[in-house]
Amino acid sequence: MSPAEAVGLALVVVGCGFYGAGTVGLLRFPDVYSRLHALTKADNQGLFFVVLGLGVLAGHWRVALLLIAIWLVGLVSAAVSAHLIARHARRSDRRHTSRTARP
Amino acid sequence: MSVGLLVDVMLGLALVGLSLRVVTGQSLFSDIVQFILFGLVVALSWSRLGAPDLALAEAAIGAGLTGALMLMAYRRLVQGGGEDAVRIGPRPLLALPVAALTGTLVAVIGLVALGVQRVAGAAGDRVLEALPGTGLGNPVTGVLLVYRGLDTLLELAVLLVALLGAWAVSGDAAPGRLHQVDRRTPLVGALLTSMAPLTILIATHLLLAGTDAPGGAFQAGAVLTGCGVLLVLTGTLRPTAAAGLVTRLLLVSGLAAFVLIGVGAVALGRPTMTMPGTWAIYLVETAIMVSIAVTMTLLFARSRGLAPERS
Amino acid sequence: MTSSLVYMLAASAVFGIGVFGLITAEHLMQKLLALNVIGSAVFIFMLTVAGTTPEGPDPVAQALVLTGIVIAVSATAFALALMVRIVQETRLTSLWGRDDED
Repeated sequence: MSPAEAVGLALVVVGCGFYGAGTVGLLRFPDVYSRLHALTKADNQGLFFVVLGLGVLAGHWRVALLLIAIWLVGLVSAAVSAHLIARHARRSDRRHTSRTARP
Repeated sequence: MSVGLLVDVMLGLALVGLSLRVVTGQSLFSDIVQFILFGLVVALSWSRLGAPDLALAEAAIGAGLTGALMLMAYRRLVQGGGEDAVRIGPRPLLALPVAALTGTLVAVIGLVALGVQRVAGAAGDRVLEALPGTGLGNPVTGVLLVYRGLDTLLELAVLLVALLGAWAVSGDAAPGRLHQVDRRTPLVGALLTSMAPLTILIATHLLLAGTDAPGGAFQAGAVLTGCGVLLVLTGTLRPTAAAGLVTRLLLVSGLAAFVLIGVGAVALGRPTMTMPGTWAIYLVETAIMVSIAVTMTLLFARSRGLAPERS
Repeated sequence: MTSSLVYMLAASAVFGIGVFGLITAEHLMQKLLALNVIGSAVFIFMLTVAGTTPEGPDPVAQALVLTGIVIAVSATAFALALMVRIVQETRLTSLWGRDDED
C-alpha cells in the first residue's frame, strides 16, 4: 500500500469516526436542538474527511474538486434543513409546553 | 473472504434489517423514513453490483422521489383527519409461514438460476457487440433507446396514465396550500438561488453524459423533478386548478417526440423505432427528461397545473 | 460464496419480509410501503440472476430494471392519490372494515 493510499484510507476512517460520533449524539441527546447540533456539526465534518480521503485515493485533481463540490452542496442542504427543523420545533414548542431539556 | 465480499454481506444484512424496520415500525412516519433509508442501501447495492445507472436512478427516483411522494401523502392524511395515520401493530399469526415459504421459494429459484450456464449468444452480449454501430458508449442507454425503444415508449405512456389517473381520482377539489415556507424565510431564498440552477446544471450534465457514461434521461428527469419539488415546497410555484397549455405540451412532449421519430423512421424507409442518428437520440432524451420532470412534479403537487406566484 | 449469491439471498429474504408486511399491514400506506419493498427486492433479484457480460452486468437486465423503477414510482404515485381519496371519502384507513360500521 503506497503512502498516498494509506493517507487516504486514514482520512476516510477519521471521517467515519465523526459520523459515528454524530450518530451517537443523534440517539442519545435529549431534544431536537441538541440532536441537530450533533447531526450538522459532526456529520458535515465527517463528510469533509471522507471526501478528502476519497479525493486522495482517486489521485486525480478533477475528481477531488468534484468531491469537494459535493461536500459544499451537502453543507448548504444540511444548514437549511437544520434551520427549518429547528424553526418548526421552536414554533411547536411555543404552542405546547416547552420540550427543551431542563438542566 | 475479501473486503468486497464483506461489504456485500454487510449491505445484504442492512437490506434485510431495514426492510424489517419498514414493515414493523412504531409509527407510519418512521416506516416511511426507514423506507427512504432502505432505498439508499439499495442504491449502494446497485453500485456494488456494477450498475451505476441503476444506482443513480434508485437514489433519485426510488429513494428520493418515492419518499417525497409518501411524505406528501402522509401530510395530506394528517391534514385531513388528525390521527388518521395511527396504526395498530401487525398480526403475525398466519402470515409468518406464508412469508417464510415465499422467501424460500424465491431463494430456490435464484439458486437454480445462478447455477445455469450463460448462453453464448445472449441478448446482452449481442447488444455489446452492436453498440459501436449506434454511436453510443453506454450500453444501457443503447438498450433503452435503440434496441428496446418500444419498452421505453410504453413506460412514458404509463407515467402519463398514472398522472391522468391521479387527476381523475383527486376530483375537482381546489388545490390547497402546499408550501409552509417561502422565499422570505431565512436561508430558503439562498437555498433557491444556489440549488435550483445547480439542479438544472446537473440534470443537463446527466443527460449529455448518458450517451457515453452512466447517466441518461431518466436520472436527469428525476434530478430536474428535485428542482420542481424545491420550487413547489418553497411557494415559487403555486398549484392551480387547471393545467395550462404549456404544461400539457410539456407533459406529452416525451411521448410525442419518441412516437414521431419512431414512426417517421418508417417514412424514411427503415423499420419503426430506429433512431436515424445521434441527433435523434439527444432530441428524444431531452424530451423524455422534460416530460418526466413535469409529470413527477405534478404528481408530487397533486394538482392540475403549476404557476409562478404573483407577488 | 460470491457477491451475486449474497445479494440474491438478501433479495429473497427482503421479498419474504415484504410479503409478510403486505399481508399483516392494516393501514393502506403500510401496504404500499410493503409493495415497494417487494418491488425493490425483485429488481435486485433480477439483476443478480441475469448474469454478467465481460463489461459488467447484463445491459438488457439493467434497462429492464430501470424501466421497472420508473414504473414502480408511477404506480406508487397513483396508488397514493387513490389512498388519499379513499381515506377522505370513507374516513377509514384500512380495507378491513369494522363490524360496527358499514
